[in-house]
Amino acid sequence: MRRYMPFLWAGTASIALAAAVHAQPADDTIVVGLSADITTFEPANISSRDNANIARHIFGTLYTISGDGAVSPDLAENLEISEDGLAYVYTLREGLTCHDGEALTAEDAAYTFNRAKDPANQFTGNTPGFVFSSIGFESAEALDDRRVQINIARKNPIAFGLIAEVYVHCKDSYEAMSLDEAAAGPIGSGPYRLASWTRGSDVVLEKVENPNSPANMQRIVWRIIPEASTRSAELIAGNVDIITNVAPDQIDAVNASGGAAVQAVQGTRRMYVGFNLSPEFAAQPGGDAIQDPAVRRALQYAVDVPAICSQLLNFECVRATGIVNPPNANQSLTPYPYDPEMAEKLLDEAGWPRQADGTRFAIKFQAGQGRYLNDRNVVLAIGQYLEDVGLDVEVELMEWASVYVPLIRQRAVGPLFFLGSGGALWSPLYDMTDLAKVESGTNYTHWNDPRWFDRWADISAATTQEEQRVIIDEMLQVFYDDGPWLHMYFQPDFYGVSSRVDFVARPDEKVYLFQTGLN
Amino acid sequence: MWTYILRRLLQSVVVILGVTLISFTALQIGGDPTYLYVSERATAEEIEMVRRALGFDQPLYVQYLTYIGNVFQGDFGRSLSYRQPAIDIVLGALPATIELTLFAIFLAISFAIPLGIAAALNRGTSVDGGIMTMAMFGQSIPGFWLGIMMILFFGLYLRWFPISGHVPFLAPLFAGDFATALRNLPQAIYHLILPAVAVAFYSLSRNARLVRSSMLEVLGQDYVRTARSKGLTERAVVIHHALRNAWLPVVTMIGLEFGFLLGGVVVIETVFSYPGIGRLVFNAINQRDIPVVQAAVILLSGIFITLNLLVDLIYARLDPRVKLAGGK
Repeated sequence: MRRYMPFLWAGTASIALAAAVHAQPADDTIVVGLSADITTFEPANISSRDNANIARHIFGTLYTISGDGAVSPDLAENLEISEDGLAYVYTLREGLTCHDGEALTAEDAAYTFNRAKDPANQFTGNTPGFVFSSIGFESAEALDDRRVQINIARKNPIAFGLIAEVYVHCKDSYEAMSLDEAAAGPIGSGPYRLASWTRGSDVVLEKVENPNSPANMQRIVWRIIPEASTRSAELIAGNVDIITNVAPDQIDAVNASGGAAVQAVQGTRRMYVGFNLSPEFAAQPGGDAIQDPAVRRALQYAVDVPAICSQLLNFECVRATGIVNPPNANQSLTPYPYDPEMAEKLLDEAGWPRQADGTRFAIKFQAGQGRYLNDRNVVLAIGQYLEDVGLDVEVELMEWASVYVPLIRQRAVGPLFFLGSGGALWSPLYDMTDLAKVESGTNYTHWNDPRWFDRWADISAATTQEEQRVIIDEMLQVFYDDGPWLHMYFQPDFYGVSSRVDFVARPDEKVYLFQTGLN
Repeated sequence: MWTYILRRLLQSVVVILGVTLISFTALQIGGDPTYLYVSERATAEEIEMVRRALGFDQPLYVQYLTYIGNVFQGDFGRSLSYRQPAIDIVLGALPATIELTLFAIFLAISFAIPLGIAAALNRGTSVDGGIMTMAMFGQSIPGFWLGIMMILFFGLYLRWFPISGHVPFLAPLFAGDFATALRNLPQAIYHLILPAVAVAFYSLSRNARLVRSSMLEVLGQDYVRTARSKGLTERAVVIHHALRNAWLPVVTMIGLEFGFLLGGVVVIETVFSYPGIGRLVFNAINQRDIPVVQAAVILLSGIFITLNLLVDLIYARLDPRVKLAGGK
């Protein structure tokens, strides 16, 4: 045994040394703890918010949108839109380069767009899957070295904001890489370059040396820490500076730590209970009742949304009045109050009185679990509120990814279902495009009210912002009165922030750290 | 013995085929898998085009045969999340899990054997009672709770160990980068201590009880009495005569446990943000990344079957009384 002792002591000493060098973040580094894994750096395949947050530091965009919805130039310095609204001509700033030193010209920007659309690449990220399908992207072409023209199929009042979501990169480097290489080793155009990526563990970004760089810190480390309590522990221990998705039950612990505090912001994700109005669901128990807008309106009064927010989400919220985020909502609308007596009265008037057993009608309420903040308990609470006004609710909680999402994708969930949908502050129309057409993949309710859907043509035809706003408000009034959603809340987001950094959380789930520094 | 190995290998092929059938069926359970490959706003025409391109419009048996053919050529499909070959993603996560498993098994054996022996030699005393009480706790305490408690106490309160994370050792070693592997080794062990203890605690407890009962059985045997009557020291009797025989069921248990742990310690890996195969598969299930799940299930089944075979061979080697079927 004695002959092994030197090895034992050497090993122990090495580990002790390792403990000694286990340091907290350096002064030129910010460490962020994320809840979800990073899966790709292929710009046309990025779709998750956490992935996009990192990618935005690596790739520039033509324009950028701030947390409060303000728009400002990024790689482009100017935009002209053709009279018919089908051509967007961006002028790039002078002297742009990609991380490999290649000059970034209009040809590169055009290549970025056309590459993302190329069906041979089979990309399904946010750019081809959401932006391009929303704006009817057709092609992009370089007019000269600095001017790139984006051609779209139909006039779209929010095309500008959506184009601002496309990550721009150079042509030569991406033509030289295979798709697998591009997914693992991005060559971007943003203020930071990818220094290392250990799957499931961390992503390290390093500042690109450039006198005009908007970047502040030299290095940003994004650590993947899926477990909420572990993220909180790392923050309290001072090993990370910012964490996303603080669990509501850990807010007090973080605030009491002295070294960090929780920033709670009302997010832009719209949470709602959908009424599936399709003929198939109309044949189900309760499906016939919710076809009547009067029943849907009655149920708006049945749920105490502020109580759900304060009790289950640890957040004081204002109930939503519709599909659009508050700054852009119809300001004449007030949230439905919690008034179960009114709900009962309206249900009686709608022809659904309580039967001998005390119930009015049975209905199934489906929901996924584990996707949204405390979703399971929120769904159970909503179910109970609806039972209180006489509905016989069968709550069906499902596994999110394998069971619920496929149903959602096939628009076959309901008759009642719980869901959230990402929104934005820069335009009411962005929020409204979930219901751009009756047959839209995101119209999970199969709502088909012409007072809503026929007005999209009016919006496109509107010549002034004021004229457009009037139409939007009329549409939102219809949605409020007779819409397919039981209005709930905008999901709050909780960020844990160390007192070391001056980070201010945004409401749109974007974590952009260009300007973040030390206190 | 070679006949036995050959027969076991043939059986393994049947098992693997069964696993592929189950994992293939899993893809179909959630409905039309085409929707996994298209964006939320895809049109009906786009969905149909993708369905045809991926062969999901073919009869199920045709799809299965195509899948099997691809698997036997090493093509497990592409990850829906990572957009890379699924098997590459799974193999990328395997070294971290092997590190955790090896270290946890090392800890479990290092403590289970002396504790089991001590309990057996002091049967009925407070030493025995203490060890068995600890073993009972070890088998009763949920791993995630123990992990979180260790994080809070050793990571947050005492600040002795890192709360989460992983420093790779085997990955650079497998890649031939010995300098990096060696440089990473102390940090790798340092980061492994808490998760490995959390994993090992259950295994340690079970094996300590197994060693104790095995030892008690062996200590009553005639050959142990004979050894003692020959005047051997108690230490020699215990180590060379008793433990050598008591060790056999423990070998079996450890072999199986190794395979089981390689399958992923999902909760511990999640609690400690450890990028192993368990967390990968857990995430893949959550994201319905079926190709990754299928690749992991098939690979791990193969590893488990191989380990089982190895355990049987080692057992036969350790215990001359055991004859493998087909052996002479």
